[in-house]
Amino acid sequence: MKNVRIWFEKKGSARFISHLDLTRCMTRALRLSRLPVWYTQGFNPRVYMAFAMPLSLGAYGEKECMDIRLTEEVPLEDVARRLGERLPEGLPVRGAAEPVYRLEDAAWADYELFLEAGDPAGLMDKLQALLAQETIPVMKHTKKGEREMDIRPYFQGMEIHREEDGVSGRVRLPCSTAGSVNPALLLDALGQYTGEEPLVQITRKGLLTQDFSEFR
Amino acid sequence: MYPKEVEKLLPRVQKPGRYVGGELNSTVKDRADVDVRFAFCFPDTYEIGMSHLGIKILYGAMNQVPYFWCERVFAPWTDMEQLMRENHIPLYALESGDPLTAFDFIGFTLQYELSYTNILNMLDLAGIPLRSEDRPELFNLVVAGGPCACNPEPLADFFDLFFLGDGEEVDLEVMELYRRCKRENKSKKEFLRLAAQIEGVYVPSLYQVEYHEDGTVKSYTPTDGAPATVKKRNMMDLDHTYYPESFPVPMIEVVFDRISVEVLRGCIRGCRFCQAGFLYRPFREKSIDAIDRQCRALCESTGYDEISLASLSTSDYGELFALIDRLHTWTEPDKVSISLPSLRVDNFSPELMERINSVRKTGLTFAPEAGSQRMRDVINKNVTEEELLRTVETAFAEGWNRIKLYFMIGLPTETMEDVLAILELGKKVVDTYYAKKDRPGGRAVEVSLSAAAFVPKPFTPFQWFGQDSGEMLQEKQHNLRGANHSRRISISYHGAETSFLEAVFARGDRKLCRVLEAAFRAGQHFDGWDDCFDFDKWMRAFADCRIDPDFYATRQRPFDEVFPWDHLDYGIRKEFLQRECEKAYRGETTPNCREECSNCGAACFKGGICVEKRAHLV
Repeated sequence: MKNVRIWFEKKGSARFISHLDLTRCMTRALRLSRLPVWYTQGFNPRVYMAFAMPLSLGAYGEKECMDIRLTEEVPLEDVARRLGERLPEGLPVRGAAEPVYRLEDAAWADYELFLEAGDPAGLMDKLQALLAQETIPVMKHTKKGEREMDIRPYFQGMEIHREEDGVSGRVRLPCSTAGSVNPALLLDALGQYTGEEPLVQITRKGLLTQDFSEFR
Repeated sequence: MYPKEVEKLLPRVQKPGRYVGGELNSTVKDRADVDVRFAFCFPDTYEIGMSHLGIKILYGAMNQVPYFWCERVFAPWTDMEQLMRENHIPLYALESGDPLTAFDFIGFTLQYELSYTNILNMLDLAGIPLRSEDRPELFNLVVAGGPCACNPEPLADFFDLFFLGDGEEVDLEVMELYRRCKRENKSKKEFLRLAAQIEGVYVPSLYQVEYHEDGTVKSYTPTDGAPATVKKRNMMDLDHTYYPESFPVPMIEVVFDRISVEVLRGCIRGCRFCQAGFLYRPFREKSIDAIDRQCRALCESTGYDEISLASLSTSDYGELFALIDRLHTWTEPDKVSISLPSLRVDNFSPELMERINSVRKTGLTFAPEAGSQRMRDVINKNVTEEELLRTVETAFAEGWNRIKLYFMIGLPTETMEDVLAILELGKKVVDTYYAKKDRPGGRAVEVSLSAAAFVPKPFTPFQWFGQDSGEMLQEKQHNLRGANHSRRISISYHGAETSFLEAVFARGDRKLCRVLEAAFRAGQHFDGWDDCFDFDKWMRAFADCRIDPDFYATRQRPFDEVFPWDHLDYGIRKEFLQRECEKAYRGETTPNCREECSNCGAACFKGGICVEKRAHLV
């Protein structure tokens, strides 16, 4: 038995499918690839798959990963190719490798945000004013209901840049089984405090471990 | 791929995966390489449309031709529709993201009457004029096929042409004709005149309708050389009829998320309420080799681990056990399960259940359709109470403890006694469970009885029948529920109001086009969904158009009345239907096609069971 970590992108149409739908797509593609995948043992055997932190609906994932188990040795480049050929265009495979960290070692994620605007300077001002507030309370929707949360500590270090057709930003946020901060909360705050609701593209660039090394 | 402007809306709607395309096996062609573009529109949500077999067959058949490109379009749910209207985004196709106005053909499948308002809504959302006469160019042709095309008159003003019967060939022939007419710069009128000469094509604008003073049809007169009767198209040899080797695999979960392979077309049974049982005659089977080949191809292209052997009545497939055994030689090692969508009470056996190992032992559904034997004889549902009880006994012995039984109320000649017999039958099923000595302890039996209101349909022996009034149906439902004192039995209904509307449009004429448009303008759509259906608004639309819906639904029609669908020929003769109707009222049954030919008329297609039987008599 060999654990293999598959690296893929979640983009285009595939950005709009839920995590559960993603697992179904992967199951079908793994079956189609005819790779010797390990099935869970039980009354309803299923293809074994494990993911690091799920990506929120609509976000672009540049470096997503999924672990599978193979019952026979297959060259890693063949694993990547055979699976990649069988996935829809929105889920291209970028590689397969032996896992370095455990899935639960993921602790942070780097995000890139792009906010489209006809008046980039105006949006830039509003965003700067928002980030300069002493506190930025927003409502966070959780399974237990709504609760207020101050997002300023998470976003105060965010780098923002004016672009030709909008504003871009980079931010590093907690992303682990112990708790995550969704970058979309900043957009909720923007809407709430400035009334701006620009078209936004969120990209998760990749995951990091507790000590900020690249999650591999 | 979806248009860029849509991206902004997607985070704000439920299930955005419905609107983005990009599925495995979806066909994307270069616009410059294709001559004819067809938008296949399913007038319901993505999850329902993507579960439909017909769209998969025709999508594949069209896209096989290099210069045709078929794309998919579904009705956006109300949240998305509202955002699209607010942002002036026209309805678009999932493959190219192009608006419907870019297509040569806008083709709808007519699966049930309550989706008609969605059709108008989809055209409107695309900015396409609703009425055929308001689209003078040979472009944006609005066409339709599917079971409800057997009486398309309530839609006649909106559509340019209808496909009757099996679509695998006739759709392509019409597209081919269009391609030629385009090249020759012909007008839309010339194209329609030529299309009407193709078997299986009905061009409503070429028929003049006259009505009697009482509102019934006096005559249909063909013009411009159109045939007096339009015969449905029939694919006789299913083994050599196009069947897709792959189809788009939805990324989000849909209603039937599995492979469907059609194993036979038509039905031998002749249940008198069932329109499909008559429309799709004659009964034709695919060979085991063809089914096996198609199942393998689809498993290898989709990655699904479940195959449904689809048809109107799969347990009537002649060599069902041999078929399943053949499939098992490879499906078992590949961990693919096989399911049967419809089981008949009289074909259920432990041997069959052993072979369908994937069936979860939670619930089992059967459709006795009526509670009393007398009533089952009237509808020609040739199933006896003994057979049903034997079947549930088998099911209980095999470990099931939840049984769902489907019934109809409001059937011709039905009395309150017949209605209450539904409950009696339910009680006998419960008793059968407790009569078993070796039943597992600690588990109670659950029997749910579902009673839908009967809707009389064209091309059935009950096409003359006046549907029960809403009050009558409600009284029957009330009595049935009131009589139930068992905690083991639950009773559910299907709305009497939607069934009334369904009955109006099923047997309607062209005068209803106005009502349909008025209801749509009043905001009606997704009528098949309880959260959208508004009966009062519908009744107001009828009143505004001065049309009495009871004329269509509840009026008992005389045998000599001319129907709005009499000029459409599905092979089934009206005399046969009348004979069956008279037998029904006498409580006489008719044997199935395997036992004996009842001379329905489908033998005119010269194939299927109609000729097999003769061979066996020789």
